[in-house]
Amino acid sequence: MADAPDAAKRRLKALVSPVKARLSRAGGLAVTAELLWIPQAGVIALGLGGLLGAGATALDPFLAAGLFALLGLLRHGLDAWAARFTFEAADAVVAGARAELVAAESLRSPQDGARPASAEIAALAGEKLAALRPYLLRYRPAQLRVMTVPFVIAVAAVLPVSWAVFLILMVAGPLIPVFMALVGFAAREASEKQMVEVGQLNALLLERLAALVDIRLLDARARAVSGFAAAADGLRARTMAVLRIAFLSSTVLELFSALGVAMVAVYVGFALLGEIGFGAWATPLDLREGIFVLMLAPAFFQPLRDLAAAWHDRAAAVAVAGELAARDESRARRILGQGSAAEPLPGPAAIAIRGLSYITPAGRRIAWPDFEVAPGESLAILGPSGIGKSALLALLGGLAAAEAGEVRVADVPLADGTADAWRARLGWVGQAPHFLEASLRVNLTLGAGKVAEARLAEALALAEAGEIVARLPHGLGARLGEAGAGVSGGEARRLMVARAALRAPDVILADEPTADLDARTAASVTEGLLRLNAGGATLIVATHDPALAARMGRQIRLAEAEA
Amino acid sequence: MSALRFIARHIWAEQRRTWLTGLLLATLVLAAGIGLLGLSGWFVTASGAAGLAGIGIAFDFFRPSAGVRLLAMGRTAARYGERLVTHDATLRSLAALRAALLGALAGLPYREMVRVRGARALNRITADVDALDGLPLRLVIPLVAGLTALLGTLALLAWLTAPVLALWSVLSYAAGLAAALAFVALRSRAEARRAETGFQALRTRVVDMLRGQTELVMSGQLEDQRAAVMAADERVRAAERALERSDRIAGFAMQAAGTLAAAGAFAIGAFLVQQGTLSPARLALAFFATLALAEIGPALRRGLAEFGRMADAARRVQRLMEGRGSAGAAPARPAPAEPPAEPAGAAGLALEDLTQSMPEGGRILFEDVSFSIAPGERVALTGRSGCGKSTLLLIAAGLVAPCRGRVRVDGRPVDACPEAELRMVLGLLPQRSALMSGSLREAVRLGAPDLTDVQIRAVLEAVALGPVLDRLGGLDAPLGEGGAGLSGGERRRLALARVLARRPSVLLLDEPTEGLDRATAEAVLAGIHDFLPHAAVLVAAHREAERAWADREVSLDAAARQETVMSGR
Repeated sequence: MADAPDAAKRRLKALVSPVKARLSRAGGLAVTAELLWIPQAGVIALGLGGLLGAGATALDPFLAAGLFALLGLLRHGLDAWAARFTFEAADAVVAGARAELVAAESLRSPQDGARPASAEIAALAGEKLAALRPYLLRYRPAQLRVMTVPFVIAVAAVLPVSWAVFLILMVAGPLIPVFMALVGFAAREASEKQMVEVGQLNALLLERLAALVDIRLLDARARAVSGFAAAADGLRARTMAVLRIAFLSSTVLELFSALGVAMVAVYVGFALLGEIGFGAWATPLDLREGIFVLMLAPAFFQPLRDLAAAWHDRAAAVAVAGELAARDESRARRILGQGSAAEPLPGPAAIAIRGLSYITPAGRRIAWPDFEVAPGESLAILGPSGIGKSALLALLGGLAAAEAGEVRVADVPLADGTADAWRARLGWVGQAPHFLEASLRVNLTLGAGKVAEARLAEALALAEAGEIVARLPHGLGARLGEAGAGVSGGEARRLMVARAALRAPDVILADEPTADLDARTAASVTEGLLRLNAGGATLIVATHDPALAARMGRQIRLAEAEA
Repeated sequence: MSALRFIARHIWAEQRRTWLTGLLLATLVLAAGIGLLGLSGWFVTASGAAGLAGIGIAFDFFRPSAGVRLLAMGRTAARYGERLVTHDATLRSLAALRAALLGALAGLPYREMVRVRGARALNRITADVDALDGLPLRLVIPLVAGLTALLGTLALLAWLTAPVLALWSVLSYAAGLAAALAFVALRSRAEARRAETGFQALRTRVVDMLRGQTELVMSGQLEDQRAAVMAADERVRAAERALERSDRIAGFAMQAAGTLAAAGAFAIGAFLVQQGTLSPARLALAFFATLALAEIGPALRRGLAEFGRMADAARRVQRLMEGRGSAGAAPARPAPAEPPAEPAGAAGLALEDLTQSMPEGGRILFEDVSFSIAPGERVALTGRSGCGKSTLLLIAAGLVAPCRGRVRVDGRPVDACPEAELRMVLGLLPQRSALMSGSLREAVRLGAPDLTDVQIRAVLEAVALGPVLDRLGGLDAPLGEGGAGLSGGERRRLALARVLARRPSVLLLDEPTEGLDRATAEAVLAGIHDFLPHAAVLVAAHREAERAWADREVSLDAAARQETVMSGR
């Protein structure tokens, strides 16, 4: 993030490109609004001139006030209109980026080793992508204004009136890029520091909140709070040291703009008094012209101040784009198919693998011996850890693509086009199931459609999971998972067997279904799976458990193959 | 609003002087800006009038022009000072608010604590305190400084121009500001809340989609889950669109108020000039000063846009801070039913007729469990998963109240024991424990601040972390967030060392050797006994090694029915 790599900037550009036309239209409106200040200054100058009786080209003061108000309302209206267009464009950018990210991550294979933590993706899809918006809403419009407004004011409005005032502004003019670079550099550093500061402060807080129970048990509440305060104060002192310098450079910009206005005012005053005889085309400068340029001077500097204020929005957007770019680069492995509901693949649920091999995320090649599984069979896949038992199940379920060879299911090759239909016939019992943020009933009937109570009870009985549901505070309405009631690993595994039963699958894939379970619970899970097999479903388990393997009709022992 | 006031007061109280200085400087910045434009306008017009009248030479141009320069420099200096001071104060307040929150949450009852440490709750808390970061800087200071500047301008213009002109300038602009503020306050709160709940839903659904991906793919529901994520996204963006609309309307109202105030000031001034009661130069002063008032609005606008979000967050943070544990004392445990009348009974741990059911009237977990553990004795608590072993330990540690029955530690009922005293004699290694970043030394000292390095090494040796200490290069070795740098088993042992370091006389261990290989597990268990040979130990045992280590076993399986089974060895 510190040296904003080109990839991030390129990614940012790509994000913005679909709405570029809309953004420039909105930018044009905003610039027009800003430039309306020139006629506003003009009518006030003429009105004041009229009050002082200065020459023929004067305006009735009340008419001047009215025109000033009308032009002003028009200016603010255009400004709001531009803001609306810009927001719509920014909204489209965020929506597009979010949809793309969600789609890509949802289809990333669970076998992909480079997969980021789910909380990271959630943060990226949520608040981080939202950080693109301030960049589009504030930074880019300000940037456009900086490139246009000061020059139009200086050349088209000020120069015809007074070359001396033009000169004053132009002294600042060429310096503007220099100062912007200076300010931008320091401001970026400052804003990054601040972001890091808040981030670290939150990290400090979060780990203490995660350890709340420990803190209480260790009677360390006061120490934990004072330790946090001390760490936070250290962070603050370091941040302030940076901010002191960063603010100094943006103060230079402020000073320039304030001094610019002051010099214009003093010059105009002296010229009107006749103390200074040079600087205007038709000497001497008169009051109307003086008021006119005085009103334009602050407007000349305003876009610069806006840009400086919005600088950290860009830093934040580049950081987000950088994360997106890094994600794009990590050539993700995909699952087969879309993971959508589909009509089950027709034909007998036979499985055959031929010449199948796979490259693990770590780069290791795994090859499996050819074998076939007939419908209704029960099969144990055995072998030491890391030999490729889980990977094989993943390939059979279409959760990852093979490197070579094929998996034939129901007489067709398992591929993108057939995977969803194949999975409609599968049941899955994993090692560490995740319960969705919904009721147990929803979790159990996932993908099984509407299920009658009797069938639910039947499936729970089959998996010996009825008592688990009875024990839960709200029964089937209970919410499991992090925020809800807890179930132990063994209970979760039995519930998964019940879920598999509800789908009435033709094939069940079970990945280490009895790992880490005590003997009694392991037996419950085993019996549940066997009951499903007895009901006609093919059962394939990957396991270390000799007791489970012994109950299967056939065993395949995977051994280290020469890669 | 009251929640926002509560938070603002809290922030303010922590850094009163710094905030006051920041406020003063912010007001100075506005005042100097108004003064600069007003004086410039007056100076130019007065010079023009003097020039026209041919009395330019007699005009005192020195003081006004010096004033213009002074205000220009002064404004810049004040701005620099303001930014420094307010950022410093903001950073201090950020830390103070978080520290206060941490203190309050550390006093919550156990069940609440467990809820708070879940990823969702943590996320929400961070999002909320982050939203409140801008409260003083973007809302309170601009508001108070703006009001002060308005009042000052009112007084100054009334004195230098005409009261009616001053009243119009200030009041018309103030009315516009107030209308915009009220509009946003009314409109944005519900939408901000909607956006926030939408954001939480988005997060949850994304996490569900990724963590439950295998299940979703296998059941053909991944596409539906994607659609659910995008529905949450649509909800968030709809709320954000509504918020942007309010913000845009409020912004327009403020800008329009500025323009109309200035135009009105010009018209009223022109009338007074024609009446002969006001000089054109003073009209210019009033007009330009009114124009400069418009600087107040933009400073407020950012805060205004975040107003709804802040108010919503403040409500939740206030609830957390005032929540059932803010008093600073131990959390509310049920009051002791009767004073501990009997003389201090046997030392060690005694459980008397403990009965516990699932929360909210669920099934009974275990009933009438009674047993005691003498000092130096080790008891394994067994039973199939989900039978309530962990719950029993939590009850024994005084974290959860039993439905019936009582726990005595060294003869005293735990519910009558002051928190600090109870923690002194009783140690619990819960099923899940968390480490914090810092050095190894700090990790062990969290619960035992007076330990010397020699003692720390001894306790680390006891849990077989000696080789790890060598590998990491000593007690100063830094651990990352949550103990990063250690393996899962090493973290578990470090958490155990933290408990042992306090040398409790009653030690409760929830599956202490989970995730350790057999040899290490046995070394750790032996180390515990050597380190605390006289402690009464109750270990929720899952593995053979733990059961073998204990002197005897208590099974909860049978207690699930009626009686307690004890099998002495």
